[in-house]
Amino acid sequence: MGIEFRNVSKHFGGASVVDDLSLEIRDGEFVVLLGPSGCGKTTTLRMLAGLETVSTGDIFIDSERVNDVPTQHRDLAMVFQSYALYPHMTIAENIGYPLRVRKFDKSQRVERINRVAAMLEIESLLERKPRQLSGGERQRVALARAIVREPRAYLMDEPLSNLDARLRVQMRGELKRLQHQLGTTTIYVTHDQAEAMTLASRVAVMRKGRLQQFDTPMNIYNHPANRFVAEFVGSPSMNFIEGERVTIGIRPEHIQVFSEPRDGAIAASVYVTELMGNETFVFLSVGANRLIARAAADFRAEVESKVWLQLAKDKMHYFDPKSGKALSADYTDQFKKSVESVDALLRHSDRLR
Amino acid sequence: MRSKFRYVLLIPALFFTLAPVYWMLTISLKSEVDQFATPPPWFGFTPVFNHYYDAFVTRGFGQYLLTSAIVSVTSTICALVIGTLAAYALTRFELPWRLNRHLSLWILSTRMFPAIVTAVPLFLMMRDLRLLNTRASLIIVYTAFNLPFVVWMMRGFFADLPRDLEEAALVDGDSRLGALVRVVLPLVTPGLAATAVFCLIISWNEFLFALVLTQTDAAMTLPVGIAGRVTQYEIKWGVMSAAASVALVPILVFALALQKYLVRGLSLGAVKG
Repeated sequence: MGIEFRNVSKHFGGASVVDDLSLEIRDGEFVVLLGPSGCGKTTTLRMLAGLETVSTGDIFIDSERVNDVPTQHRDLAMVFQSYALYPHMTIAENIGYPLRVRKFDKSQRVERINRVAAMLEIESLLERKPRQLSGGERQRVALARAIVREPRAYLMDEPLSNLDARLRVQMRGELKRLQHQLGTTTIYVTHDQAEAMTLASRVAVMRKGRLQQFDTPMNIYNHPANRFVAEFVGSPSMNFIEGERVTIGIRPEHIQVFSEPRDGAIAASVYVTELMGNETFVFLSVGANRLIARAAADFRAEVESKVWLQLAKDKMHYFDPKSGKALSADYTDQFKKSVESVDALLRHSDRLR
Repeated sequence: MRSKFRYVLLIPALFFTLAPVYWMLTISLKSEVDQFATPPPWFGFTPVFNHYYDAFVTRGFGQYLLTSAIVSVTSTICALVIGTLAAYALTRFELPWRLNRHLSLWILSTRMFPAIVTAVPLFLMMRDLRLLNTRASLIIVYTAFNLPFVVWMMRGFFADLPRDLEEAALVDGDSRLGALVRVVLPLVTPGLAATAVFCLIISWNEFLFALVLTQTDAAMTLPVGIAGRVTQYEIKWGVMSAAASVALVPILVFALALQKYLVRGLSLGAVKG
């Protein structure tokens, strides 16, 4: 079921929350709307669900314009951040609610409820009330309620944000598998870039109501359209080295750290190291620049000790210092040839990013 | 020690609320000689039941009781249905020109003037509608007077209910009204119960409009009927007390039945699941 946003904007009073958003989502895709809080991603999802009106522009589901179709007739299913389970109903009644309002007969309802309960391993909870369940269990029930009928698409609004870290990673995997099994178009809102990278077939990065980039996770990561996307995606964040004509971006894994001097390497001092167990983050000072490098787990260096860096020149990103836009290949090729200038920039730049 | 102190604090309140009830009950059971004896016999008198017989068998208090019941129950139901819908609209839909706020205040303002102000206009209206001396007139008036109260009480309960639940119901395919009936109302049952009890008490005890709008036995409510025993020649204390004691029972039973909701309903905001 294809979904299309065409020049959609949303204003609350004078404030523009979503600004001229155009987005085409293909049938069966898992699209993640990613951005910091207040970027308009939840509003976008709510407009699709019909819970907010569209100020200007059009939304299409299956090439049908749905701007004026009430929520209950859009045939979508939504998982809320708060789960929004009906507190006065049992789990079975909660899951069966969409079927009940669609007048499915009892035997059919029971059969379907049992099927999804088995799929999500919540059979033993069916007679309980939501308040008797843990966060993870509630999450599963909310999912079960969404998938119990076959809607045209699933909408998920930060469904994992109320879970603890371990459970979040586990549910993330299950979600992905579930979507793979069901093959239903899914639109998923999150501010967590790791969720976006792991779940999405394509990621739409938003900022201040505007779409920044809409591409596959790998392209978002490897070819960010602008400095905001580059900085928001990836952990730890991309390093930026500010210059007059260009801002250079380089990811922590593309900086190699050596304890001994070597040809072409830049001298730096260690600010601090963070041992992560499987790797080490090295925080470095080069002139007035702060860089983060990703080093092997066994890398050890004292604070303030001297190290040498090698930056992977072919992995660098170049941004316009004013607009933040990624610079064209021509420009970067030209820039890459004058290798010294990168090093010079790094050594002598007195601007902190 | 502390628990004893707690009861000491309750004594004045209990005295003020229960003493009139005790007085009324004893008068209804005393012979006329005992009623006027000084000092009054507090406990040691021979109970008689002839006032009850007099009220409900000889005179038509049964009829008044029935009228009171029909009028207060019907007007309470009407006020709850209309008021709940209005309160839901005021909390959930954004009306233009800040009408949500203005309308709420306007609705409340109808309770700010003394009821007597409307007595004459209402009498004239009911006369022209040929509704004088009918139960319908009282049902209409009581519904109108209870509405602002219902709207304001229910507005508070709806405002406290997370919107996600209704939105989930809508996405699940239910209509607005379906979501209201299947999801919202079950969650504000304590509020509905508390509001219903208040409406019922107000209608049950209402005197002014019942007096103005009804004069016949067939349409008279219990408070008016009781007051009617104050005549030019005598005051029937025994009959009045007997009728009033019986009048107490339905409200008491209703309030006790809803007690578990009342406690939650009266502490606004306690409905969150």
